[in-house]
Amino acid sequence: MADLVFATGLSHAPGLTGWLDQAPENEQISLTEGFNRLGELLRASKPDVIIGIANDHVLNMPLHDLHDFCVGTAESWTGPAEWFRDWVNVEPYTVQGASSIARKLFEGLSARGFDATSKTDLLFDDNWSVPLKYLTPDYDIPLVPIHMNCVVPPVPSPQHCYAFGLAVKEIIENDLPDGLRVAFMGTGGLSHDPGGPKYFDVDEEFDRWFLALLEEGDPEKVLRECTMEKMVAAGDGGTSELIAWIAAMGAVGTRPAKTICYEPSVALRCGMGCVYWEMDKETANV
Amino acid sequence: MPVADVKRELPSNRMIFDARRDPAKYTNFADNYETLMEEYGLSEEERQAFRDIDIKRLGELGVHPYFLPQVSRLFHGGAYNHNNSPSAQAYGKSVVEGKGKTR
Repeated sequence: MADLVFATGLSHAPGLTGWLDQAPENEQISLTEGFNRLGELLRASKPDVIIGIANDHVLNMPLHDLHDFCVGTAESWTGPAEWFRDWVNVEPYTVQGASSIARKLFEGLSARGFDATSKTDLLFDDNWSVPLKYLTPDYDIPLVPIHMNCVVPPVPSPQHCYAFGLAVKEIIENDLPDGLRVAFMGTGGLSHDPGGPKYFDVDEEFDRWFLALLEEGDPEKVLRECTMEKMVAAGDGGTSELIAWIAAMGAVGTRPAKTICYEPSVALRCGMGCVYWEMDKETANV
Repeated sequence: MPVADVKRELPSNRMIFDARRDPAKYTNFADNYETLMEEYGLSEEERQAFRDIDIKRLGELGVHPYFLPQVSRLFHGGAYNHNNSPSAQAYGKSVVEGKGKTR
């Protein structure tokens, strides 16, 4: 039995590494300190591997060949993909994969009926490049990247993503090696509208409502209230990336999320923030 | 155009999907896109929208919204993509201000 030792949800918008100096100074400080703090907490949990879930920005799964989930099963990964390199402003990096763990995840998800595929040649854009820069700046923790579709209908529902997180937790506990320490990371959101008319807007009211909802530690309430329609209304095509956070919530159950930082950053064209869940057994709501 | 109305099989979508993955396609895109448009069989409407860098029109034709800011970056560059950068400004003028053509 492996152990889930840490879980987090965090934004990955490229402005955080690409043009943070354009944000007001208070936003720069809050986000830099917050994301660095999240990295300290993640590394302090001493994970042997990070299982990450983030949306595919229609970069690896073409519009005519989509799956809900795509597990990256390579032995190692490089990023950022070349065309995105100057945009995210992250130096080229290599991070180890964990192919045997990834294959077990893929098999376990498929056996449970999830629409999953696998790839060994995933291109990374901001979805991993921005989080890794802050969380593991030495790129020294192996990563199993799972890409999901949240922008080409039909997209998996929040309920389905929650079930996905539950399944990942089951696979961690039943199928991964004894003593293995696993961190689970969902990246994306918060409100933003890439490709829409609200490109330069942030829905602060939605973002603060969403964060407060996660802090209650009541998954049923989150699934009841945080509908896909509500996410789309807060920014079509971007805000729904938060189903990655809901997947992470599926793995942690009734624990309340703790918000580390949040900024409604118009300069970064995204509501930016991060939360984590403490995985001590005592912290779950009962 | 909302994400829900994207046209999956639109030649422009196939072209942009590949263009971001292939240095032979994204390098000097602004000088080479006519060749790509021919290769992917874009309609005359799609081709004219690219020639005008009419990002709003591309959205109306069914290009995936995610691709629209990327079209602006293919023409104007993606580095230091803050709100006053050439690519963000071109996107804003076309889609947010609704002026369509940016060329």
